Amino acid sequence: MEKPIQEEKRVFMTGNEVVAWGALAAQADIMYGYPITPQNEIMHYWTRLAPKYGKSFLQTEDELSAGFATIGGVLAGKRSFSATAGPGNTLFQEPISMAEMMRIPMVVAIQQRGGPSTATVIYSQQEVNMTTYGGNGEGLRIVYSTATHQELFDYTIKAFNNAWKYRFPAFILGDGYQAKMREPLIMYNPEEKGIEMVKPDVSLGKEGVPGKDRDPVYLRNAYSMEEELFEVLMPMIEEYNKVSPEIEEHFSLGCEDADLIIVSHGIVSRAAMAAEEELRKEGIKVGLFRPITLRPFPEGAIREICKSTPNILIVESANGQLARLVKEALFGLPINMQAIFKPGVGITSEEIIKFIKSKKTEEIIAK
Amino acid sequence: MNKSVKIAIAGEGGQGVQSIADIIAEAGNEEGLEALYIPNFGIEQRGGVSVAYVQIAEKLIGSPKFEKGDVVVALSKRAVDRIIPYVGSNTIFVYDNSLIYIPEVSDEVVGLQSYETVAPEAQTNGFSLKEGEHNHYLIPHYADKVIGVPATDIAKKELHPRVFNIVILGAVIEAAGILSQESVKNAMENNLGSKFEKNPQLRQLNIDALQKGIQKIKEALVRS
Repeated sequence: MEKPIQEEKRVFMTGNEVVAWGALAAQADIMYGYPITPQNEIMHYWTRLAPKYGKSFLQTEDELSAGFATIGGVLAGKRSFSATAGPGNTLFQEPISMAEMMRIPMVVAIQQRGGPSTATVIYSQQEVNMTTYGGNGEGLRIVYSTATHQELFDYTIKAFNNAWKYRFPAFILGDGYQAKMREPLIMYNPEEKGIEMVKPDVSLGKEGVPGKDRDPVYLRNAYSMEEELFEVLMPMIEEYNKVSPEIEEHFSLGCEDADLIIVSHGIVSRAAMAAEEELRKEGIKVGLFRPITLRPFPEGAIREICKSTPNILIVESANGQLARLVKEALFGLPINMQAIFKPGVGITSEEIIKFIKSKKTEEIIAK
Repeated sequence: MNKSVKIAIAGEGGQGVQSIADIIAEAGNEEGLEALYIPNFGIEQRGGVSVAYVQIAEKLIGSPKFEKGDVVVALSKRAVDRIIPYVGSNTIFVYDNSLIYIPEVSDEVVGLQSYETVAPEAQTNGFSLKEGEHNHYLIPHYADKVIGVPATDIAKKELHPRVFNIVILGAVIEAAGILSQESVKNAMENNLGSKFEKNPQLRQLNIDALQKGIQKIKEALVRS
């Protein structure tokens, strides 16, 4: 059997391919999948890699089944994952809620496409609401919004590790552009880099006789009394809040002396970064704040920055889904907010620059 | 000054638009540069115009799509319409003039007609012009340079129709001026190597096609 990536190597591939290789590097055992554009090739590449490296794959009859089967794999002690997009993500919300309730560390890669419903198979950032707070629950999840192929690889590995470490479902939130574009990245074996992979444990089907050799395993998803649920849920929420600062990640650029902070996530933050650089050249003091984890949201970090710079411009390929998270994080601070919302459409640095230049100074920079 | 180039190529499905883009991006990566290639994809792809976006730069590239290209290429009649929004004042516009006849008409002559107004004949799904057909496609006078490369004719008459897209590839890399011929040839080898092995003549044919494309742009740039 071939061993996956041993030495660091520079490769040039599509984002879907990167996720498949990232899962392999993270020592995933099995993928349960159901095809939907633009994430299909994650599945295709995984099925190509699987036989070479002794991994497994199961195509289920739909996304509900793919989600529950992933949970089954995890309970059997296997590093299991899946991938989906758009309406598939909608169907995934039910198994994901179950994973939240039962503290099952499932990993799902999501390549956002246009919505609502079937909409486009191309691109969007419209699955932020659903991925962070979807399902009937409290959003006890870890959501990494990636911007480059390098990050797709890095955070696929991290999603596996943190899902099992914290026992909350974890997501790699990409988009159709990241899925389909090709760019270079460095692949590596995480263990060679000193990243220790958290070992999965068997929940169901353990050795020995329950009640005799070991305690019985009792996984619960249904409660008969309100108080019973409350007693289980509150410690879970407290634990989530307690570990959140360890999980939160963000990237910021030029915020120290900025008059205006561009807030964006995922691939749009690359356009924002290019705009920041261009505007700086012209002497316009712009900074960039990019949440990498959308859940838990890096609240402390953005509040700190916005205390000294209250002027923000939110840029996203959705109609205010990131903005909702930002506003919640900044609650109570006096903020002057502008926005570029382009649901389901890509955003270029030129557009951001044009927008900022089209505004009168006092519109975007409140004194 | 950082080196960077933005390229948009549009043509009919089957013209090899995506392979050209892929080879260019791979050559950029071969040179250790940042390279980003994204095809247009989606339902429109079935029977529609195929568009590819490639960017090569020294540092991390911003958004995968862009507003104006440095090199913009159209390989069919309706690809011209699709790609015109990407032509700016710094753009080198390359088109296959054996497929598309672009009259050099000044604004005054055409009067109110503008690029936003699609001429009725443009709405017919023509792949190329019929003999004697007059065409009101207007290549923006604001482009930096407009260069016709008769790639289809060159391929048909001097080489082989199959290498039509490699003539265009040569034209694009010469117009872009950021990649060495060596790395483009290596990328061609990676992409087409298996075909070359089956038919060794193909390798030379492709190299000749690449040279012809390069030569056409060199001549045009000297003249202008």
